[in-house]
Amino acid sequence: MLPGTIREAEEKPRSALEPGYLVICWNDPVNFMDYVTHVFQQVFHWPLQKARHHMLQVHQQGKSVLVRESLEKAEYYVHSLQKYTLHATMERDE
Amino acid sequence: MKRLPSTAASLEFHLEPWEGVMLAAVLSQYPCLPPAHQPLSRNGQGPDTLADQRLLDEALADQRRDNQRQLTRLLADTTRFRQSDKGWRLSLAPGDAEWVLQILNDIRVGSWAKLGSPDDLDELRGDQPNPDVGLMETAGYFQMRLLAGLRTPPDHPKR
Repeated sequence: MLPGTIREAEEKPRSALEPGYLVICWNDPVNFMDYVTHVFQQVFHWPLQKARHHMLQVHQQGKSVLVRESLEKAEYYVHSLQKYTLHATMERDE
Repeated sequence: MKRLPSTAASLEFHLEPWEGVMLAAVLSQYPCLPPAHQPLSRNGQGPDTLADQRLLDEALADQRRDNQRQLTRLLADTTRFRQSDKGWRLSLAPGDAEWVLQILNDIRVGSWAKLGSPDDLDELRGDQPNPDVGLMETAGYFQMRLLAGLRTPPDHPKR
């Protein structure tokens, strides 16, 4: 690994590297349940059972916390979910 | 719209004559969602929420432009979307099927947003025909057919 690469990683604020952000998917009446399950499988590479569990949480409880990740990864996941037009946000885990 | 024998590299679909015409008409409505439709955060928390939101909006706008270009190419490419004796034939690489799903959902959710984002979809199915309701339902129909096709394992692992 190049020395510069190490230095760049060390200079990042600690909070950006810590898994302190929650990726949340919110319920809406328009996305099909099968579609939401499929998207979770595609984005997170989850097995069908886990994807379906989170889809049902969204449907029945209004939202589901999908993962707890670093800032960069959380942004990546929110962007990936929003490409599929799911209502996804990231919030800091207090 | 029915899955035909397919390979891991290409998903094949047969469409009835009306389905081929409807699919092209529905896809031509992309994009339906207004830009900057999606917030990154609900409570505005984050180290630099405004900048992050701007980056997300730009990334989604780039994605839409790419999708539009790919869509134009798909509909004009007779090796992937063509009329046959009994209807239409659609051939999609697995990655293509994913973005067609995204496009169809943009159209479905965008139509719903134009209708005021109602909680009860049954209320929309009134006596008066509404083009946005028709578009939302038709995009949903093709989404479900495509999803069913994606769930079916390939007939031949590689060809």
